[in-house]
Amino acid sequence: MSALDPLWYKDAVFYQLSVKTFCDSTGDGVGDFRGLTGKLDYLRGLGVDCLWLLPTFPSPFRDDGYDIADYYNIHPMYGTLQDFREFLAAAHERGLRVITELVVNHTSDQHAWFKEARSSRDNPRRNWYVWSDSDDRYAGARIIFLDTERSNWAWDPESKAYYWHRFFSHQPDLNYDNPAVREEIWNVMRFWLDLGVDGFRVDAVPYLIEREGTSCENLPETHDVLKFLRGRLDSHYSGKVLLAEANQWPEDVRPYFGDGDEFQMAFHFPLMPRMFMALRLEDRKPIVEIVERTPAIPDSCQWGIFLRNHDELTLEMVTETERDYMYEEYARDPVARLNLGIRRRLAPLLESDRRRIELMNGMLMSLPGAPIVYYGDEIGMGDNIYLGDRNGVRTPMQWNGGWNAGFSSADPERLVQPLISNPLYGYQAINVESQERTEHSLLNWMRRLITVRRSSRVFSRGTTTFLQPANHRVLAFLRSLDREQVLVVCNLSSTAQAAELDLRQLAGALPIEMFGKSLFPRIGGASYVLTLGPYDFYWFKLRRI
Amino acid sequence: MAQMIADTLRQVGMNFVDALRVFLPRGVITISIVVAGWLIATIVRLFVRRILRWVRFNLACERAGIAALLKSAELPPAEALAASTAFWLVLVGFLLSGVDVLGFATIQGLVSALAGFIPRLLVSIAIVVVGFFAANLAWRATLLAAVNARLPSPRLLGGAVRSLILILAGAMALEQVAVARTIVLTAFAISFGAVMLGLAIAFGIGGGGIARRILEHQFPEREQSGADDLPHL
Amino acid sequence: MAEDSLLPDELLHHLMAVGQVDVLVGIPTLNNAGTIADVVRAVHRAFSRYFPRDRTVLVNSDGGSTDDTPAIVRDASVEEADTLTVSHRLRTTHRISTPYHGVPGKGSALRQILAAADLTQARAVAVLDPEVTSVTPEWIAALIGPVRADQYDFVMPIYNRHPLEAMLVTQIVRPLLGAIYGWRVREPLAAEFGGSGRFVTWSLEQDVWGSELARYGIDVWITGAALSGGFRCCQAPLGPRVQTSTHTPGFQDVFQQVVGSAFACVETQAGYWVTRQTAEPLPIVGPSRGEASRPAMVDGSRLTDAFRADIRALRAVLGTILSDDTMAALDRLSSSAGPLDFPDDLWGTIVYAFLLAYHRAVMRRDHITQALAPLYLGRTGAFLLRHADADPPAVEAALESLCSRFEQLKPALVEHWNQPGQR
Repeated sequence: MSALDPLWYKDAVFYQLSVKTFCDSTGDGVGDFRGLTGKLDYLRGLGVDCLWLLPTFPSPFRDDGYDIADYYNIHPMYGTLQDFREFLAAAHERGLRVITELVVNHTSDQHAWFKEARSSRDNPRRNWYVWSDSDDRYAGARIIFLDTERSNWAWDPESKAYYWHRFFSHQPDLNYDNPAVREEIWNVMRFWLDLGVDGFRVDAVPYLIEREGTSCENLPETHDVLKFLRGRLDSHYSGKVLLAEANQWPEDVRPYFGDGDEFQMAFHFPLMPRMFMALRLEDRKPIVEIVERTPAIPDSCQWGIFLRNHDELTLEMVTETERDYMYEEYARDPVARLNLGIRRRLAPLLESDRRRIELMNGMLMSLPGAPIVYYGDEIGMGDNIYLGDRNGVRTPMQWNGGWNAGFSSADPERLVQPLISNPLYGYQAINVESQERTEHSLLNWMRRLITVRRSSRVFSRGTTTFLQPANHRVLAFLRSLDREQVLVVCNLSSTAQAAELDLRQLAGALPIEMFGKSLFPRIGGASYVLTLGPYDFYWFKLRRI
Repeated sequence: MAQMIADTLRQVGMNFVDALRVFLPRGVITISIVVAGWLIATIVRLFVRRILRWVRFNLACERAGIAALLKSAELPPAEALAASTAFWLVLVGFLLSGVDVLGFATIQGLVSALAGFIPRLLVSIAIVVVGFFAANLAWRATLLAAVNARLPSPRLLGGAVRSLILILAGAMALEQVAVARTIVLTAFAISFGAVMLGLAIAFGIGGGGIARRILEHQFPEREQSGADDLPHL
Repeated sequence: MAEDSLLPDELLHHLMAVGQVDVLVGIPTLNNAGTIADVVRAVHRAFSRYFPRDRTVLVNSDGGSTDDTPAIVRDASVEEADTLTVSHRLRTTHRISTPYHGVPGKGSALRQILAAADLTQARAVAVLDPEVTSVTPEWIAALIGPVRADQYDFVMPIYNRHPLEAMLVTQIVRPLLGAIYGWRVREPLAAEFGGSGRFVTWSLEQDVWGSELARYGIDVWITGAALSGGFRCCQAPLGPRVQTSTHTPGFQDVFQQVVGSAFACVETQAGYWVTRQTAEPLPIVGPSRGEASRPAMVDGSRLTDAFRADIRALRAVLGTILSDDTMAALDRLSSSAGPLDFPDDLWGTIVYAFLLAYHRAVMRRDHITQALAPLYLGRTGAFLLRHADADPPAVEAALESLCSRFEQLKPALVEHWNQPGQR
């Protein structure tokens, strides 16, 4: 990936982490930028290209930092702006890019802007938020945090009015009908771009605009805002990426790419639960359907695909039947369920089954889109569903089996989140140091996987054509880019399977398995029979020699 | 004179003794043959009875209607009758052999003729028995087919078929034993045309459905009962 | 497990791809192009609506159709919503159409379907009739549901029929089999059923598949086998049954096949019912559906008029089968004036006598069933005359009474069953 390539994000492997729980350099029990800087070699060694940091703004931390009280600073517990600059420089030195969070939809109710806005109806910032004398406006909008919120309106006793909030009640929504808000947000972006960040993951974009009689999601005016911000970005910078968080159906996310003049990237939310579903069903149908349903996007754009992240495994974009199925198969304990989702990490969801973990990562790295790895999943970290909210998947990184898993030198009781310490997923069993010493550990396997993925642009930029073998337990698809072709075959079943693939169009090609470089029989005119072990997968580079 | 009479008597007596001397051994042999034959015939009767019981001959005859016929004629059951027949055939055979040993020319001629007649008699009996079976089967098949096909006079049809087959069998049996040959042949020729009809109906035994359909098509005289109009299933 | 010769390579190929399933629906066909598409669609809707999480497959076993039935099965479109809805299926649905090998007839087709179910380890199997146009997704749910819930091994349908329909069932098969097997079943001749994997495996191991019974009477054999095989059986209301047949055999053929099969079935399963002394109703699972319409009535007097003449004609044959007392009663009946009044008692005695005669083979067995046909028509005619204007509950009560009578006469049958020669 060239440092000068403006489309670098299309080929990047992203790594999402929380500074707070990555590495503590000061011994106060909280991760910080200096600690993160010290781990950049590890991240480089993993093979990832871009780091995505969860919010590090000053915040009352009632939503783990997504409730921002100051857009122009770093929270002191993470360090200083200088620490951030040094981190950025060190990352760039190692060829790592960095994108940060940009929470544009709302602020904390502790933000100075809101404090001013609520102080009086005549305050100049009053109109920076959405106010109403009644709570029955915008009745068509759904409640997102169902487990905690009963309404999208909250009563402000200070200004004797209701304010609009699509998320927690302590997160009032900004009013993007106000041009001043747009300008200020642009200022925020400029601030961080000038510091050197390579882009932003923009939180909660569908909800920027409200209109009566609508669902207040994905409204046309929202795109005006986004085009405005993107226009400013392009006119001042190059090679920066905006990644949209829009938890919608693919066809509803498509508008957020615009004509290449809005977001460069957007998460493909509906694919993720369907990968888990396909694995459990042992049936490729959910994956094939959602990918085939995904509309084409501009050439300069890219989907962001992932297995897990800092939020619950969202089940918003599935049917009721599918949701019930996912709950029954992956979250029998109701404590694991939150807000129409499942708050578990990858390894516990897959019962720490190495084969399934590998298969899911293999699919992540070969399906169309830029893959995003969630910190800790590369070593198979566990979770703690008994921590509140989604904190169970945001526990400290497990570096070694020693004091506080090498995360911090503080007293264990002082840690910002408790460590996972059970015999199965605890830091004594699952940690980076142990896995670095083991050739065939999950960590080393992930490194090899990412290396192989990066060896060919066909994964990041190629077209995708699904094959339809009669055996529905086998997912097979062809990635093609110019003359380069890679055949991906995955066994979604817990038992060995045979698959007959119709590869007549590829007759004459020689499949070379990409991990071991082994030759497989040449493709002929008849069905190509492959046998796969449980949860096995192959990536075949097709050579014509 | 007295001396002549005495001499003649002496001569006759000596001739008689000579004849007796010649006859007695033969007589003893004949009696031995007959006794042996009786023993063997008894064994054969037992044997035949065993075999017929094993193949359920009585049951078959009951189905063929022969049992009923025998009962009405106050004859013993078919199995016993067959066993007895076998007994008497064997015994008669030995009797004839024994008589043949005696050397009486007239009787020897009779024995030869009888020996030639018995196999034909056996075949004739077999023809009659088979004919009974076939006739009964054909009668029942025709009767049932005619009733279910709503044909007119089913009993008449069935009876006609049975009669014709019996006549055929009887004619064949009589022809075997060469009794009233000319009369039999003539009568048979006259009846032959009717037998063809019986065979056509008897075809229903093997192709009852086809026969019925043919009959239904050819003889739609009797009013249909409406069986096909009902929703039976 | 299934014999290899049952499964052509093409079918094996498909089954390998299908793998294990939870639900298999089988449809035997022969020239059903006019109706099969609707049946296939109903099956797929049932899969989506009632078994969205289950691994499912539809298997069509075809007897060599010349009207493109297999192609219609394969290509019948099943509309799915363009957007993902509540009823959207989670899994791939497989649909297989394959010819069967073996003796022509439903038995071979059914055997192939059961073999496919066995190999795919199907937990629940339903078999449908391709000619029934009233089939709905709820039929499949009703047949499969109790099995899938692991409550029953065998589910028999109950159709919404007017009690004056299906006389062959109501006058002979139902009372006979109900009394003999000791289970009161509404539709012992049903072409549809639901079964468990356990029942499927056991059925394949039975010695019926190459016989004439498999060819013409597999439906009644399946019922009898389930009842006598120690399986948990129940009945499920399906609704009205509307059948569109391209080829309807004549009454005689139907009667021979049905009654002959019923008798043969009873004979082969005698080991079970000879010692069974009670008669119990089978549980009914599910709500009743729909209402039955009154069938087009046939004039019973035509049947009874023919009956009198038939008795006279068949006297000699009937005398071989029926006892003297029964014969005398029949004579009195046939010579009686006025509308024919055929008592349940006499009818039950006659049916059992014919069954005994069949068992002992007092004559050719097809002759025995042929001889019963006119008596059945007379009985049917008398029943129709008597209940022509009765309301359905009254007719049902009369049919229940008939079944009870058969049950009461059973001990006499059992007593004579193993004694040769006595009538």
